[in-house]
Amino acid sequence: MTYIGAEVIVSPLGETAEENWLALSDDQSGITLVEDVGYNQENIYLSKILSLSGQNRFHQLVVKALSEIQQQIDPQVFGSKKTLVILSSTKGALYSNVTDQFESCVSAIVQQFGLANQPVVISNACISGVLAINTAGNFIREKIYDNVIVVGCDIISDFVLYGFQCLFAISNQPCVPFDTTRNGITLGEGCGAVVVSASKEIFHKQPLQLLTGTSANDANHISGPSRTGEGLFRSVTKTLQMNKVDKGEIDFVSAHGTATVYNDEMEAIAFDRAELSHIPLNSFKGYFGHTLGAAGVIETAASMQMIRNATLLKSKGFAKPGTSKLINVIEKNEVKSLQTILKTASGFGGGNASLMIRNL
Amino acid sequence: MSFITAYCHLTKDTCYVDGEIISKRDIDSEDAWFKQIYKEQEFVYPKFYKMDMLSQAGFLASELIKRAKPGIVTNYGDDEIALIFANKSASAATDQRFINSYEKNGSPSPSLFVYTLPNIVLGEIAILNKWYGENMFAVLPNFVPDFFLNYTQILLSGSSKAALCGWLEILGNEIDAFLFLVEKEASNALQFNHENLMKVAGQKESPIS
Repeated sequence: MTYIGAEVIVSPLGETAEENWLALSDDQSGITLVEDVGYNQENIYLSKILSLSGQNRFHQLVVKALSEIQQQIDPQVFGSKKTLVILSSTKGALYSNVTDQFESCVSAIVQQFGLANQPVVISNACISGVLAINTAGNFIREKIYDNVIVVGCDIISDFVLYGFQCLFAISNQPCVPFDTTRNGITLGEGCGAVVVSASKEIFHKQPLQLLTGTSANDANHISGPSRTGEGLFRSVTKTLQMNKVDKGEIDFVSAHGTATVYNDEMEAIAFDRAELSHIPLNSFKGYFGHTLGAAGVIETAASMQMIRNATLLKSKGFAKPGTSKLINVIEKNEVKSLQTILKTASGFGGGNASLMIRNL
Repeated sequence: MSFITAYCHLTKDTCYVDGEIISKRDIDSEDAWFKQIYKEQEFVYPKFYKMDMLSQAGFLASELIKRAKPGIVTNYGDDEIALIFANKSASAATDQRFINSYEKNGSPSPSLFVYTLPNIVLGEIAILNKWYGENMFAVLPNFVPDFFLNYTQILLSGSSKAALCGWLEILGNEIDAFLFLVEKEASNALQFNHENLMKVAGQKESPIS
């Protein structure tokens, strides 16, 4: 069995998974209006960690998350030859040095945490986080490593904000995934981390089970979502089959839900085709914004908190269905025991990925 | 067991398939080096001209591997070929061009921004071939054979039957592109192991015997 636990979330809502959970269940969002930050000095809604300053914000967040992980697992794990660290990120520290987006940070954490193996950076646009956790699961199953620490981190920068602005993809309100009035993403920053392990004993607190999933390309367009949801449909179908899980066993879907018109429509079509549209679903983007390469890890960690707290968390910002295929978007928090959940992600480059988590 | 059945190297002045030179850069040409190869090889895919250099390199090398090994197109289902790529500098060259667009050239360029992710090349190859398989793009400090060996074996033990792997590093004037095809079944091909991968990765002049 592959275990997943010791989840950490560093976001505007808190520095631990528990702090973040308290804020989420209290209907708080990290999104605020930040003045004069747009390319034309517009005010833009962002989920920005205002307390984080200095040149090395990316590195600071990664260190915060790893230090928190250290408190939650056997201290021997970090230095073990059978432990790998995977860093999931789209743009790393690009804002400070375009030709050194990851390397300096990676070298520094190797030193600081005494890592025995060279970390792997996974940079696969917005599916990076889910892909990184699946990669961890695969490494454990094939016994290449005993433990994999997955850290997902991305920082809001002029680069990313101006980029999405020039694509006209930034929401003029805090993003409202799957809602009929959605008109774009709200960027977020943060860091999520989980530990994937062959051993239950390394965790101080009870871990959950990781059902490692698959990725699938849409083969459609480098920056436009598929009209048929083909890649997401294939990824989810294979993830279920590979783990011999019946779709009736899924209690909750943590969707990608960026709140662009076409992405959310694509997801609704894919879930409809996969016959999952009746299952309670949310997007965490209304709480954290779109944290890009960190999103898959942060949202998996938040879904794990939902399992631990036996709660279906509402999809913040959603009021009126806005997709051609109806899906069961959660409108109100509800106490419910969750046994098996599905997490999905989709992104630029046509990538789609999915995984499942099961309560033990 | 699996095998390296074809490979392609692209450097700043030479293009090799299975270790044999197929194109040399003409320094007097008005065309950029990748465009020279595109024209010489008579490729017809106008989208090529919109791509950034990472995607152009991925396009050229993957198409040349397909020509060397046409079975890749016919022998596999549309989701059975995994794409496993890595490099050192992610999309830094295009990232810098996008920064220039808003710092020096008036406004942020959407056509550059969409290429500011290293995995876009995987999307381009998937779109061209209608491949719906597994994708992976990793950033590593150098070419790490074990990463490719481990991850390819993992995916080939699942539903993938072949893997198109690549080290695709382009920054400044330096071009170091190496794509190789790994298949589960092959005859008279190199076994996919550490020693052979190192040999093929560094080998430029002599073909597989």
